[in-house]
Order: sequence, then structure tokens, then C-alpha cells
Amino acid sequence: MATKISIKELDSQFAKIRGLDLVIGKVVEAGEEWSEPVGPTPYPDITALRGWDQRILARYPPFYSPLSDFCEFCTYGKCDLTAGKQGACGIDMEAHQGKWSLLTCVMGAACHATHAHHIVEYLIKKYGEDHPIDVGSEVDIEAPLIRLIAGIKPKKLGDLKEVLTYLDNQVTQLTSATATGQEQSPIDYESKALHAGMLDNLALEVADIAQVSALGLPKGNSDTPLVEIGMGAIDKSKPVILCVGHNVAPGSEVINYLEDKGTYGSVEVAGICCTAHDLTRYSKNAKIVGPISRQLMFVRSGIADILIIDQECVRADVVDEARSVGTRVIATSDQICAGLPDLTDKTPDEIVKALLTDTPAVLVRNPAKVGEVAARAAIEAAPQRKSEKGLKDEQVLANTSRCTLCRECTENCPINLDIGYAVNAAKKSNLEPLQKIFQECIGCGRCDEACPQSIPVLSTINAASTAKIKEEKFTIRVGRGPIRDTEIRNVGRPIVMGEIPGVIAFVGCSNYPGGNEDLAKMADEFAKRRYIVVTSGCAASDLARYRDENGQTLYEKYPGDFDAGCIVNTGSCVSNAHPIGAVIKIASIFAKRNLRGNFEEISDYILNRIGAVAIAWGSQHQKAMAIATGANRLGVPVILGPQGVKHRRAYLGRSEDNEKWMVLNARDGKKVYGGPAPEHLLYVAETIEETMVMAARLVMRPNDTPKGRMIKLSNYINLHKQLYGTMPDDVQRFVRAETDLPVTMKDDVIPVLKERGWKPIEIPDPTLLDRMVLRRE
Amino acid sequence: MGKICDANELRTLPSGVQKPAFPVDIGEMHEGERVRKPQMYLEFGGLKAEAKFELVRPRQLNEIEDARIIIEGPDISEMAEDGSYSLGILIEVAGAKVENDIAGVLERRIHYFLNYIEGVMHVNQRYDIWIRFTKDAYKHGFNSLEWFGKALIWLYKTSFPILEKVQVTFYTEPAQISEQLKTAMTIWAERDERTRSLMDEDVEQFYGCVMCQSFAPSHMCVITPNRTGSCGSISWFDARAASNIDPNGPNFVIEKGAVIDTEKGIYRGVDKVLQEKSLGSVQTVSIYSMFENPHTSCGCFEGIAFYIPEIDAVGVVNRDYREEAVNGLTFSAMATNTSGGVQSPGFNGIAIEYLRSPRFLKPDGGWNRVVWMPYDVKERVKSSIPADIVDKIATEKDVKNLADMKQFLTQKQHPILQRWKEQEAASEAESAETEATAETGATTAIQLPAEGETVISAPTLQLPASGGFKIILKNAKITAEKIIIKRLDKK
Repeated sequence: MATKISIKELDSQFAKIRGLDLVIGKVVEAGEEWSEPVGPTPYPDITALRGWDQRILARYPPFYSPLSDFCEFCTYGKCDLTAGKQGACGIDMEAHQGKWSLLTCVMGAACHATHAHHIVEYLIKKYGEDHPIDVGSEVDIEAPLIRLIAGIKPKKLGDLKEVLTYLDNQVTQLTSATATGQEQSPIDYESKALHAGMLDNLALEVADIAQVSALGLPKGNSDTPLVEIGMGAIDKSKPVILCVGHNVAPGSEVINYLEDKGTYGSVEVAGICCTAHDLTRYSKNAKIVGPISRQLMFVRSGIADILIIDQECVRADVVDEARSVGTRVIATSDQICAGLPDLTDKTPDEIVKALLTDTPAVLVRNPAKVGEVAARAAIEAAPQRKSEKGLKDEQVLANTSRCTLCRECTENCPINLDIGYAVNAAKKSNLEPLQKIFQECIGCGRCDEACPQSIPVLSTINAASTAKIKEEKFTIRVGRGPIRDTEIRNVGRPIVMGEIPGVIAFVGCSNYPGGNEDLAKMADEFAKRRYIVVTSGCAASDLARYRDENGQTLYEKYPGDFDAGCIVNTGSCVSNAHPIGAVIKIASIFAKRNLRGNFEEISDYILNRIGAVAIAWGSQHQKAMAIATGANRLGVPVILGPQGVKHRRAYLGRSEDNEKWMVLNARDGKKVYGGPAPEHLLYVAETIEETMVMAARLVMRPNDTPKGRMIKLSNYINLHKQLYGTMPDDVQRFVRAETDLPVTMKDDVIPVLKERGWKPIEIPDPTLLDRMVLRRE
Repeated sequence: MGKICDANELRTLPSGVQKPAFPVDIGEMHEGERVRKPQMYLEFGGLKAEAKFELVRPRQLNEIEDARIIIEGPDISEMAEDGSYSLGILIEVAGAKVENDIAGVLERRIHYFLNYIEGVMHVNQRYDIWIRFTKDAYKHGFNSLEWFGKALIWLYKTSFPILEKVQVTFYTEPAQISEQLKTAMTIWAERDERTRSLMDEDVEQFYGCVMCQSFAPSHMCVITPNRTGSCGSISWFDARAASNIDPNGPNFVIEKGAVIDTEKGIYRGVDKVLQEKSLGSVQTVSIYSMFENPHTSCGCFEGIAFYIPEIDAVGVVNRDYREEAVNGLTFSAMATNTSGGVQSPGFNGIAIEYLRSPRFLKPDGGWNRVVWMPYDVKERVKSSIPADIVDKIATEKDVKNLADMKQFLTQKQHPILQRWKEQEAASEAESAETEATAETGATTAIQLPAEGETVISAPTLQLPASGGFKIILKNAKITAEKIIIKRLDKK
């Protein structure tokens, strides 16, 4: 906080002062300074890392997949951009797509920055600026992203404010660059998109370390409790409060109020999407209904007495949907006012009364007030729930008699589920096909809109699956927040000794092409193969909604450590900061590299050395793209599921172009071939088979020890053979010397290498940065 | 003599060894596979078995038959599903370059090799083994110990080309296993004795390990008979075996060269390699000192020996110890000081095994300097701590902080007391000198921020002259982005 001292006139025996203005930006007490030297880019502006971006974009050029041939951004348009044509403003298709890419990422970054603002401001108001940042005793590097990007070491909640100011400033500048007549080069658009991604990651960390520190969320312990998840896990006999969105403040205040009154046990507090994760991190008695794909289904069930919406990933029709089944709604964020009357300044008594009588949907922008109001209103409203609820299952199913099998629903389903067939089967009293669809449905409700007969298709799917819904009850390990420094030290040895093939993070939303089981099967496979598996957000919820052949959920089956063959749930979307933070910490922990304001060097380290890859199988939101792009700038590759193609941009490497894979050997300054490792930065996969093989390939890095490469290769070759039935056609590019070859595969691989004219290469100490060359020959 | 199966396809030919046809897959990626009770066909060893062991013995070339598998007692086909059976595995190896010292290294590979087989789980070693395999593997034809034998022979030969002959014998009669186990116990006792008694001066070569350079480019571990790699997993014997197989790999020979100091562990040959491998960031090392040119670490050391300046003593903390150590710092906080291939006197990243070394911190006082360590670590290495001092080293169960620590040490008459006495005597002699310089720094220290952060503009500006205090500022404007306030240090 700035201090200002003004002295107009002072005459005393030791000083004479006239017109003194003394402004002190920040007062730091001795011993609090951070001795780590400041790197070249603390608080980088939007061009500070352009050089690094150009370097990685030269190797991984953007690959665009436009959704439309036209630009409709200004009144000149719409302009046809096909076949190399330029629009009226002079923009061509590539630059136009670059602009989309930046827009998408900056939207994501803005969401997370705003979220960080809200949570930090709320926490400062509640706990004070001086509340310490404490994310656990085994987490010495408390804020790797903030240290790396901002160049500060936050000690108190108040210290986060300057990071928020920086985010505001940068997001504004990036948004400005998207306007007509601003940026023009696709590569510069992408550089700015990468900047937006980096800001997004930074915002994630600000938000999560603030809430971990102040709300007492788990601080990196592996054995967080298993809690219930699923539509069937919600106890309907109690008053039910449902929180949807991302900001845990209002939900946590509900729990506070109920605990104060001693009534927490008799009220069900549940959530959907990320706020659900954070509620369970706050209290293990909270429950998770499911990921975003269960939002419309659960709201329509009418089980919730009160629906609290905060920010991000809230359906635009949720207020009407809730109202149609008698659920009262409290909107809580200035981000989503939803056309509702603002009762923030009313007393709790007045708001409760309004909710229960003439104003069943309100806006209240005060978390503590929301806590009290929601709790009281839910308890009062619960007894009326039955009478207000919508139609009975049989009534809903009766609608199917109108089905003409026109298949408009099938045509409109984003993931091509054959809904028409299933609805028609239900017409003939066969509910099984609808029940199967219930499993795979992403819950978007487009089928409802498409039906010319006005059959409420999604409700029909629900009604047919009542028994399934009751059974939909699983367990999930509560999000644990940070990865402990000691865990990172612990896995260093097995990684270089070839016992751990890599780190795979399952992240993102639930826009899957074929249900959540695919995601769970992939995670199961990689955990079984002793990769370190990390997860967060809706992906973490979806991993729970699956049982293996022994009836166990993955969280029951695998421990929660950051270690081989374990599955770590870090928590909500903002907890994605922790796996990203973990890869940054490796540079500090093992190589003692300075993090402070040293983005380029650390990214170079990560890109060349750390075998981590993220899989966003159901990527849907702009935030997902922003998070992925931020990871990319740090050198972490990301694989998107097939829907990810609609983000319109990938960063693809060309493995056959040897020149692109040259690295500098830091030990002698020579330019040497490092191999296509990692081959891509952002890749869209069509099938889970392709995803798994690609993930096994993308964990390879030029610095791998022979044993490390051996275990990576054995998984890559084995998965390729298992899923495609063949030896990979690029295996020769990943074998540097015969010592890289898995002993069990030598006999199979050596003839292939011979046939393909393979020659051994040396393993470099790889870098893309000339200044990192330690010695020249 | 039991059933003999000669796996002719696994005989060593000039062209190498061909992979035989196996009924199940064999590969490194199967290593972590767990076989749970419901999936299990049957198990060997474990808690329910009467007798079990596994042993590797180097032999002369003429003593064994290459690629021979002998099954003494009933085979799997004569065992019941879901049963628990006794098993002894004896692997005999021979080759012109095979030394007796490699036995331990080879023996530990059994664990990995059996785990490479799809559907097989192997746990523990020596006299404590436990092997399970799945119904699925059995269904695919994995129905005889012969398959275990073939897999072992093939993997040994492929991984260690110096093995010209490999012969495997399986014992399944408890009485016979117990008999063999007696021999094995003697062999292990001799091997352990050799490992423990082998001193640096007994060998000509040490080994370097740069496995971790993949993450810590300037760190190299020096591995000697008296110092295991900091990660705890590479002993001198392991490094020797690895460098024999791949001399240009991450484990390589270091010729000791001129011996400067055996006790401190200073060798010219070591320094030369270290300078090269650390790219000049380390010039010389005293392998056994944590104060004078200490050995560096990457990041995955198992424990830290740390200096406690208040009592001029040394404590040890391990990575799994989650509380604050006696000095009030966690492992994580201290680890930051000793990572990244940087020499940091006062903090030494170590393997727990190194605590068993007769040269552990020898130049710094060895065990006489150690005052605290976590209970679990102490229990693990108890037998290697000199008997007269073992009870004088505190754990978290005895003391929690330095104040209690002093009391504990005094009460137990820890040898560190002697050190304190010597220092007291020395410091009394110096005290007269220090008093003279104590009265300094009577002015407030203002640290000016870096260039560009501060604007000081004033038409008139007079700063205090010596003695007295007078400030005249007119129309002054001072803007500081940040101001650092330091407390006055008055002694």
C-alpha cells in the first residue's frame, strides 16, 4: 500500500522543509527482501518474451482449422477469406485465425484474472492484507508462477494485489490488440496468445494459493479424504443447496453459517464444476454432483432447493431451468447478473422473504449474506419441494409418443449420439438405449432445441435413467492443492533411472466424444504403466465416475501421491497452477536455476528436459485453451480431444524436418540434432488410441538419460503395437544410441533401425538459447 | 537331479541371443504391475510359504551348462490353483569377464526381470521373496517354471553381454530349499562383509555418475567404496557393473590419480574429472567433508547433514521426515541450500547408506559431531553408529528445539561438549579484540533502490554532515517505488 507524506512547511532545530511530497510505494522490513537475483523479465510486458515465442513458433508453427470462411468482426464485413483472399481491412485468413486464437486465450485469461480478483479481495476483506501465504510446510517454493513471471515472492495476501494489477494491465493491452486495425501478423497474434496463456496460468496460481492459505484448504497432503460424487450421492431427504461455477466464497459461507448454527449435518451442500471441488477442499462433508455435463440434468431434477451461481461455466439458461422446477436462485457475482434484481443491500430477512415469496431469483453480491440467506431459505423451502417439482418420470416419458424418428436430435448432437433411435425405442417402452445415452451425454440440451415435436429430450434421457441416477455414486479424492517439493525430489531418481516414464495430466472440461469412461480408461492405463498421473477440474470429477472390473473408482485404486502409478487430484480449474508450478520447481530444485523473472530460461529448461504432457480430452471452454496455451509457452505439450479442433489452432512440429530439431549443446556450444522431442506443443487427437500413443511419444525429451529413454520408448512402442498393431514408423528418430533400446525390444527394433538407415547420435545438454551455452569449443 | 530343460534357443552364439517365443509379453512397461488375489493363479514365497530364496552365483565356465533350466521338485503343472508354494531360485552365471563382485548387482535384477513379464509380480529379495502370477498368464500357456527360467536367461544375457553362460535352478521342495538357503546365507554374509569392509584405499578406480545431469547439468556424484551416490541407489559395485556394460554411459571410471588426503577424500584424478563434468563450476572436492569443498548434490538426495551453528554440531534429516528438524527448519527448506550441483558448506545432500560408511563426515568429527537425527533414520542405521555414542544422539522423541538439545547433550555427556570447552577457551582469548569494534553503525541505514526506481528532485538539498543532524529540503519531491527499512544493529 502506498504511503504519502506531504510537508508544506517545517521549521525545527534539525530540519527546514518546504513543500515536500514523499511517496513510498511499498515499505519492506529488513529480512523480508528476497535475495534471489532478478532475471531479465520480471512482470514481462506483451513483447518482452516475443523472442522466445518466435523461437518456439518456428519449431511448432500454428496450424489453423477455421470454423468459418468469413470474417465478421467489423462493418466492412462479412469478408470472404478463402483461397488467400484478404478482407476489407487487409487481414488474411491466417492472421484472422491468429486473432481468434488471441481472443480465445485472452477471454480465458480475463476469466481467471477476474476470478483471482474476486477471491483475493474477498479473502483480504475477511482475513486482512497481512494474512500469510502458507501452502504447506513441505512446499518451500510457495508460488512458482508468481516468482517466475512477476518476480516477487508473495508473503501475505496483500502482496498478491500487485500481481492482479499487472494482470489487469496486460489483459487490457492484449484485448486492445484484437481490435480492427491493430495487430496483423499471425505469429505476433500467437505470441500475444501465448502471453495471454501465461497470464492465465499466473492468475490460476494467485487465486489458488490465496484460498489455500486463507480458507485452510489441503496443503499438498497426499491422503486427503475420499468424498462422494455423483447425482445419486445427494441426499434428497435434506434441504439441498447447489453451487454452480468457480468461486468458492459463497458456498464456503453457506457452510460457515450452517456450522455456526449447528445445522450443517441436516443440510446438503453440493456443487457442480469447479466450485464443487473447492467446496470439498473446504469441507469433506460437501458433495460433488459432477462435472459441467451434469449441470442441466441435475438442475432439471429439481432436487436443489437453492441454486447458487457464481462465475464461469454457468449455463445461460440455468435460472429459467431452475425456476421451472421450483428451485430458488441466488446469483452472486457481478460477472453473472442474469437480469435479476440486486438485493445486495437488503437485510438477510428481507432477502429470504423475497426468495420464498415473490422474487424467487435474486442477485446478492455479498458472500457472507449469501451464506445466511441460502441456508435459511433452503431449510424453509425444502418441505415444499415435492409439490413444486416438475413432471413425473412417466409423464416425461409419455412425450416420446410424439417422436417421428426424424433424427433432428441425432443430427444436432455435438457428439453424434443416436438420440433419435433411443427416443423412438423408449416410445416402444425400451429404455435401455436412452440409459446408455445418459452415460455418454455431455448434457448440452441441443436435442431439446432441435426437436420439431417439442419433446424435452434431455429430460426424457433423465427420466429413463432414474435408476441409473440413483446408482451414480462414486468417490473422489479431495483436491490437495500443491505438489510438495519433497515429492518432486523423491521422483527425480526414478525418472533418471528409467523407472518412471513421465508425467501425464488429465485436465479440462467434459466435452467428450464418447462419455467420460474413455478418459478414465486412459488414466487407468497410464497409472498402471507407472506414469505420474495428475488431474484437476472437470476431468478430475470424470475420472471418479467410473469403476474398474473390481468395482473400484480410480481414486480408490491408486494412491494420491505425486509418484509412479498414483493419481493426484489437485482440485479445481485454478489448481491447474500446481502441476504447472511443479514443472517450474524442478528447475529450481534440481538445477538451482533462478526462477525470479526468468521465464525464458526456465521454459527452455522445461521444453528440453521435463517429460510432462497434458491431455484435455474434453476441452470446451476458452479457459481450457488459455491454460493449454500458457503451458505451451512454458514448454509443456498438450493434447486436445477431437472437439478441440474447434479451438481452431494447434501448434504442430514436423518431425521429418531435421533442421527444426537442432539444439545447442550447452557443454560445447555445438548445434546438434536433438530429435523431435517433444514433437508437438498443441495437438488434436481423434481417438483415445491416438491420444495414448501420442502422450507416450510427447513425454520424450532430448536430455533423457539412456535408462529414462528406454522406459519411455518401451511404453511408446508397446502402446503403438497394442493399439495400432505395428512398430511406430518414427521409432528411429527417438533412438539416440543402442543403450536407449529397451532390452526386451532390442531384437525387434534393431532390424527396423538398420532398415531405416539409423545412425547413433550423442545425447546433448540441450538448450535453444545461445546464452545458456556454458562453454564453447 | 530334477527335470532338465535345455533352452537351446537361448545359447550364446557369436551373433548374440535371439528372443525365444514366450506365451506372454515381456517388457519394461510391465514392471509396476500388481497381481491381486482375485487375479492370481498361484503364488510362490510370501508369508504363507515355508521356505524361499533367490541367489546369483558366479561360476567358472566349465562348472555350468549354458541355457539350462533345472526344476528340482514339482512344477507348476503339479500345483493347485490359488495355492502358496515354496520356491528357491539359483542363478549361476559364468563368463571370462565375470567377477565375483558383480553377484549382488545381478541378483537385484531378478526383481526387475521377473516383473517385466506380463502378469507376474515379484516383491523383495534374498530370503524374503514373493512372486505371484495371473490366471490370464496361465491361460496363455505360462504354466511351467521353465518360462521363468527362459525369461531370466534371456534377460540376463541381453542386459549383460559379459555373461557367456547362464544356468537356472528352481527348487520347490521346502526341505531342499532350506538346505540351499543355508549356503545362500553364508554367501550373503560374505558379500555383505566384503561390501562393508572394502575401503577407498583398496581400489584403484572410483566411478562418476552423471545420471542426474539430465536435470542438474553441473552436478556429478563421486562414487567410492565408502560413498554411495546421494540418491542411495548406486553403490560402487553398481557403478562398476554399469560402467562395464556401457563405459561411455552415465556411470564411468574415475582413475584416482594422486592421493592428496584419504581421510578427507581428496584425489587429483577426481578433481580433474569433476572440473570437466561440472564445466568448471566445481574445482576440487573433499568427498567426506561437509565444510571444506563439500560434495555437491542434484536434488534427489535421501537426506541432509546440516550444520547447527549455535552448538557447532551436525544434525541429519531425511526426506520423509515431515516435521521441522531440531534447528527449526524443514527438510525442504534446507534442501534448497544444497541442490543444483553447487558447493554449499554446512549442508550436505547424502544417501542414508552413507551414514553406514566408516568415512562418514570423518574430517569434520564424524559421529562425534552428530547430535540429532529422526528416530526412523537412527533405527535404520543404529548398528553402524559407534556404540559409545549411539545413545547420546537425540531424536525428535528426545528433544524438539535447540534449548532442550543443549541440556540433552550435557546430560548425556556427548563428545561435542569437549569441542565446546575448547572453543570457550579460544574465544576468551579473542574477546578483548571484539569489544573494540562493537560500537559501530549509529546512523540509520537507508538502502537506495536500484536506478530508475527513485526520483529525488530538489532545488536545495542538504544532507546531514558528520555529527549532528540537519535536513533542509525545499520543494522536494521524492518518489520511491519501494523503500527497505533496516533495523539498527546494536550489540
